[in-house]
Amino acid sequence: MSRLRLGRWLIAIPMSLLALATIYPLLFTANVAMKTRRDYILDRFGLTDALRLENISAAWTSVGMGRYFVNSLFVVTVSVLLLLLFGSMAGFALSQLRFRGSSALFLGCLAGLFIPFQVIMVPLARIMADTALIDTYPGLILVYVAQFLPFTVFLMTSYYKGIPPEIVDAARIDGSTVYGVYRRIMLPLGTPALLSVGILNALFCWNDVLMALVMMPSADHRTLMIGVTSLRGQYSDNIPTFASGVLIAAIPVLLVYLFLQRQIADGVAAGSTKG
Amino acid sequence: MPIGNTQPSVRPASAGRAGGAAVTAAAHRSGARPGRNRGGLRAERYAPYILVAPAVLIIVLLRLYPLLLGVNFSFTGDGAQNGTAVGFGNYRELFADPLFQTALRNVGLLVLLLPVAVAIPGLLATFIYLRVPGHRFYRSVYFFPAVLSPVIVGAIFNLLLAFDGPLNAVLGSVGAGPVDWLGDPDVAMFMVVGVHIWATFGMALVVFLAGFATLDAALLDAARVDGATLRQVVWHVIIPALSRTIQFVFVTTMIGMLTSMFGLLYVMTSGGPEGSTYLPEFYIWKQQGQMNRPALASAASTILFMIMLVVGLLQIKLLERSGKED
Repeated sequence: MSRLRLGRWLIAIPMSLLALATIYPLLFTANVAMKTRRDYILDRFGLTDALRLENISAAWTSVGMGRYFVNSLFVVTVSVLLLLLFGSMAGFALSQLRFRGSSALFLGCLAGLFIPFQVIMVPLARIMADTALIDTYPGLILVYVAQFLPFTVFLMTSYYKGIPPEIVDAARIDGSTVYGVYRRIMLPLGTPALLSVGILNALFCWNDVLMALVMMPSADHRTLMIGVTSLRGQYSDNIPTFASGVLIAAIPVLLVYLFLQRQIADGVAAGSTKG
Repeated sequence: MPIGNTQPSVRPASAGRAGGAAVTAAAHRSGARPGRNRGGLRAERYAPYILVAPAVLIIVLLRLYPLLLGVNFSFTGDGAQNGTAVGFGNYRELFADPLFQTALRNVGLLVLLLPVAVAIPGLLATFIYLRVPGHRFYRSVYFFPAVLSPVIVGAIFNLLLAFDGPLNAVLGSVGAGPVDWLGDPDVAMFMVVGVHIWATFGMALVVFLAGFATLDAALLDAARVDGATLRQVVWHVIIPALSRTIQFVFVTTMIGMLTSMFGLLYVMTSGGPEGSTYLPEFYIWKQQGQMNRPALASAASTILFMIMLVVGLLQIKLLERSGKED
């Protein structure tokens, strides 16, 4: 038994090194963001001599990361709210109500899971152009909702399946309408699942680059991730500003991760075990 | 329970229990309204359809319909031939295009690297499950890059792997020559795939741990009592018990490699050097947006979809086989 314990400690060494390799790149970037340009050229690895925030504020204002940040925040918020609304409505109906064609509709929603954006990029861009939705926020929001709705419907349906049907029946006998059941019972009961799915969707939308790139060609409408990609060409000779832009885009995700790690991991796990 | 906190909190059972209280409260609040009229009843009959309508309409119009439209596009021409049928012309051009050939070769490389990308998180999850000292800490740290955007990850590694960047500076200080990590056609693709695996192994790790949570701990204890070594435990207890999870990770990792590396490619190499880091998704984007060849891009989309279909069908085959073994 003691040999096994020793083995565990030996395994802990490479695992710690890997953990270091996992966080070091971000720490390095944060450190560089605090340095002056001269400091970085002279010494890449040394700790910054002061908590300098000039680079970050420069990236926020003159590079335009602040505006992109607000754009992203708006698009992600609206997309996630719509996803949760439509996903919970459909999930409730598909799991708790008996109606003709329900299993066919569920399969139709599920089929959407197997169609990645890359496969329908060309026709989707054309549909958006034909309906004058390309390069508008509603257009991008609609594309995000369509992209992540199959997953959301799937998870909400399997979550609501675990709620005993007697609850709905009892409320109906008491005279509640179907919509009343949805609003007063299903939405509150669904909170844990809505939270998990909502956070995952927020991360997916916030992190997206391809859909924003195809749907939002104008510079004004850029989301934050497009802003990060544009840093490369403009600031490749000014690494601290470049690093600051990257940091601005990473900090919200870091905060969400620190506080809601459980919910994120649970959402991923639920997606895998319900399958 | 070996790793209590990987249990999904999305757990219907406890929600059901909480539900009892919520329902009674709700019933009291709304009050009983027995006298419903016929019109109300008819409206109620359509309620399920109204509830699913937004989701179904969006998915049909913006997912399923575009798929058919795209396949249709792929048989029409570009530019002056816009809208006219060209048969398999786009597909012939596609397979003759060296860039698309490279993209397919790179898919082959991804398939070869797939076992590595699955084995790393699998092994790490095993150690975490066996409670290596500090296992909670490792889980949190390993999972973190998986929630970062490929764009952010790509930008950070752009910085680290630049020709005059920190990694080459370290190599230089020990006397090794600088390597053009992202500028050498023989090296760049390996770097991009490596960064992708670095960034996403935490996702597979979490899925593995969710699988471990369903594992019967008594089996492991029995193996221990019988004096099994770690290798024997992995081969004879863990792998058979987790075969479904392993298959799931194989498929999702492959799909992830095919559909979520665009951000890395776009930021780290833009398909270069010499087109050596093309993947189908990058080729589609390039032809669609930059080269103004939507029909050719649609043909590439159809091929990508077929590759993914093969991956999916393989999964079903595997599941059926393991179902028979059970």
